[in-house]
Amino acid sequence: MGDLLNTMASSVSGMSAQAARLRLASENIANADTPGYRRKLVPFEQIVNGAGAVRTGDVHLDTTSLERVYEPSHPMAGDDGYFESSNVNLMIEVADAREAQRSYEANLRMFDQARQMTSSLLELLRR
Amino acid sequence: MAQDLAAHASSRQSVIAQNIANADTPGYKARDMATFADSFRETTHIRASSHPVRAGHIALGAGNASGDIFDSAAFGSESPNGNTVSLEDQLVRAADVKHQHDLALGIYAKSINILRAGMGRIR
Repeated sequence: MGDLLNTMASSVSGMSAQAARLRLASENIANADTPGYRRKLVPFEQIVNGAGAVRTGDVHLDTTSLERVYEPSHPMAGDDGYFESSNVNLMIEVADAREAQRSYEANLRMFDQARQMTSSLLELLRR
Repeated sequence: MAQDLAAHASSRQSVIAQNIANADTPGYKARDMATFADSFRETTHIRASSHPVRAGHIALGAGNASGDIFDSAAFGSESPNGNTVSLEDQLVRAADVKHQHDLALGIYAKSINILRAGMGRIR
């Protein structure tokens, strides 16, 4: 029974980490057209003595150069007519969000399986 | 024996859940536990050599609830960030574990029913 509860704890930590990743992906997509926005990234790390659970580390910014867009009528355009847009690539964000969703589902399935095993164990007591 | 089988199933499932939770952690190595058959054979072998009973006689409760945990990666599953978890592989193992647990609980329930029948209360 203790192992099953550990299973649930690991799955929950996985789900919350994937949810944080999905949230950052949606923040990046929302700010895809914000001038000067740098996309946010979050690393995953294993909690060392937390029964194999996972957590998200500190959010950091992608340091790749910002995209320079030529648009002289833009209010933030410089003398040469260019302004710096965000460095968000929509393709990457959508793929990342889809991957987070798949991992979330896998964690959810493990959680559900542990729940089924627990309830069938408790069913024995009810006889 | 059914108790050991169920305990083994739940601890192996815990290892698999850790793998799935860490499916995107850079540098994480997938782990697995020895199957019940292997760990059972190992412990009965040790017992048989230290306590020689009648040949073919299996001591009750000789199973090992928690087998050895070792690194196990499916072939070619290592990604560029050093992670070796393959979700498909882990889900197949999880289904295997669920089946094993159901089997153990089925045997449990059956033996309870037989005890009931012995007491004259057949349901």
